Amino acid sequence: MLTAGIDVGSSTSKAVILQDNKILSYSIIPTSAESADSAQRAFDKALDKTQFISPDDIHWIIATGYGRVVVTFAKETVTELSCHVKGANWLFPSVRTVLDMGGQDCKAIKCDGQGRLLNFTMNDKCAAGTGRFFELIAKVMDLPLSDIGELSLETDDEVRMSSTCAVFGKSEVASLMRQGRNKSDILGGVHTAVSDRIVTLLRRVGITPDLAITGGIARNIGIVKRVEKRVGCRALIPEEPQIIGALGAALFARDRASRN
Amino acid sequence: MVQSTSAKKSLQTTLEVPVLRRKYYAQTLDDSQKGKKVAWCSNNIPSEILDAMDVTGVFLENYATVIASKRLGSGFCAAGEKVGFSQDVCGYARMLMGYVLAKNDAPEAPYGGLAKPDFLLVSANSCDSRLGWFSAMSSVLNTPLYVYDSPSQPDGASNSLVVAEHIETELRNLISFLEKQTGNKFNPDKVRRRMDISRQTSEIMYEISQLRKAVPSPMGSADMFTAVWPSMYLSGTKECEDFYKRLRAEMEERIARKIGIVPEERFRIMWSGIPFWYDMQLINYVENFGGVVALESFYRVRERRIPSQHDDPIKDMALTAVRQHGYPSGISGSIEDLLEAVEEYKINGVILSYNPSCRMLLISQTELQKALEDRGIPTLGLECDMADERTYSEGQVKTRMDAFVERLLAKNS
Ligand code: SF4
Repeated sequence: MLTAGIDVGSSTSKAVILQDNKILSYSIIPTSAESADSAQRAFDKALDKTQFISPDDIHWIIATGYGRVVVTFAKETVTELSCHVKGANWLFPSVRTVLDMGGQDCKAIKCDGQGRLLNFTMNDKCAAGTGRFFELIAKVMDLPLSDIGELSLETDDEVRMSSTCAVFGKSEVASLMRQGRNKSDILGGVHTAVSDRIVTLLRRVGITPDLAITGGIARNIGIVKRVEKRVGCRALIPEEPQIIGALGAALFARDRASRN
Repeated sequence: MVQSTSAKKSLQTTLEVPVLRRKYYAQTLDDSQKGKKVAWCSNNIPSEILDAMDVTGVFLENYATVIASKRLGSGFCAAGEKVGFSQDVCGYARMLMGYVLAKNDAPEAPYGGLAKPDFLLVSANSCDSRLGWFSAMSSVLNTPLYVYDSPSQPDGASNSLVVAEHIETELRNLISFLEKQTGNKFNPDKVRRRMDISRQTSEIMYEISQLRKAVPSPMGSADMFTAVWPSMYLSGTKECEDFYKRLRAEMEERIARKIGIVPEERFRIMWSGIPFWYDMQLINYVENFGGVVALESFYRVRERRIPSQHDDPIKDMALTAVRQHGYPSGISGSIEDLLEAVEEYKINGVILSYNPSCRMLLISQTELQKALEDRGIPTLGLECDMADERTYSEGQVKTRMDAFVERLLAKNS
């Protein structure tokens, strides 16, 4: 049976096509101003990759993510909170806590052995704890986003950030650059400040091992290492951390389709 | 941007409240024009005494909710900020300071505005922001202020008679203040009459609270957040008593006919804290999934009204205040009370509002949420100001609500 999950996030839209218990294909594209259009394009792209599946072959489609309600071709919606734990727990059955950090929010989610949502807490009010903040910092420091995590670890004298508000943080970084501070020391300070926020969020739901990190941030080794150190356990990182929400949605679609 | 405003009500009787409220505000303007003395009051100022002194009370926290539920809160808050009040100050205070000091920057005031005050009365009970707010108003309006000190008793306090004596003194001082301001004489018989009606009404309110335990819920919070209004502002009047008699009758009929808020009640939620007045339809939101917000933390009447404590109405009022088990004070009392409500009202999950500008409630909400989670009762914390909708993102709140419902349903499956 073929099912699909579409995750319309603030920065990227993702689609996963699932055949029973196997990921057949997936796609990740930037979300444009038209979320509905992005959802469609992500879905089309994932279908194209399979080369033989047409939309009519898909039994059930579930949409998730902040733009889930605009996905008119989906049969139903499930929140990204439920989808992330569902997807992460399917990949790593030992997972009980998921940290997901996307472009615009950061969530700490707990689940049971079947990947069912037990509790969650979110930060979506403050950009300083989100992927967007790192984009801003990379830009102001004129560095590729993919490099900053690694660089942040190459310090033994990291700066102490006086502010972790995204707007102030950005200007603080700019002024540290003007003072000629070493880039790794600055990045070390930025990553430490964000990790502290993340860990506070995680502590609010309680950290039950195993912990998985999903979303774009899982690719940032500077954050992963610092979070691991603070919570005192290794984090499981999916090979493709950005598609876990869409994967969870496709898994929900599979469950619903087999029930109907 | 928020599209919705007032909650969808299920009971006919509740629909009478907006009419009563409008009439009440029109009456205050009329009284003022006819030369009756007007007091701007905080909650917890006994309206029985105002009435016995022939004083018209205008309750500012209530007016603040009127402004906010008409989605004018942000405009008034911004006006308050313009004259220097920080966003961290209580949303109600900010709005009313905006109203008083920056009328031209604020939107048009609901109900034609407020009757001009001759003096101000504030209760020092439980909230310090309110004291600061009323003191500031007293100085900018150049109007006398009376601070009525009626302390809440901490859990397990054994000094109730001392507290009762203090409250009695405070009430007598309040009366002297009003006599001086109005030139009217205190009329104990009038106060007694109103207190008798208040007692009977409280009895009905207690029965209403009991009826709300029924499954399916005969009246949820979407109705109660409105239906509670007469008991707070028309207390001791026949109009108020009759309203609750009709409400009780309608609930009894719904119970007899098994009419709930939703066709098939799947789960019951409790709302803890102040709601977000600019989007009261949020209370109805769980109804889309077969749920109902069946109870709120504030308006449950916990026990039958105790009989009169003394022939002297003022002594009676003071003794009743300390002997009647009202809203619990102190964290451990609140936790116990919440857990009792969850049990008795068959609540499956609790939504707690975190209003950052109401520091009086903010601190205890964290403790309550933790206590509930520790006992395996699912909770959802929503952090938004109760009046200032600039702090509210409908999409983000709905995602949390959706996930909370998914969590509840996963638990029950
Ligand atoms: S701070 Fe809270 S309790 Fe005090 S007046 Fe404001 S809303 Fe009411």
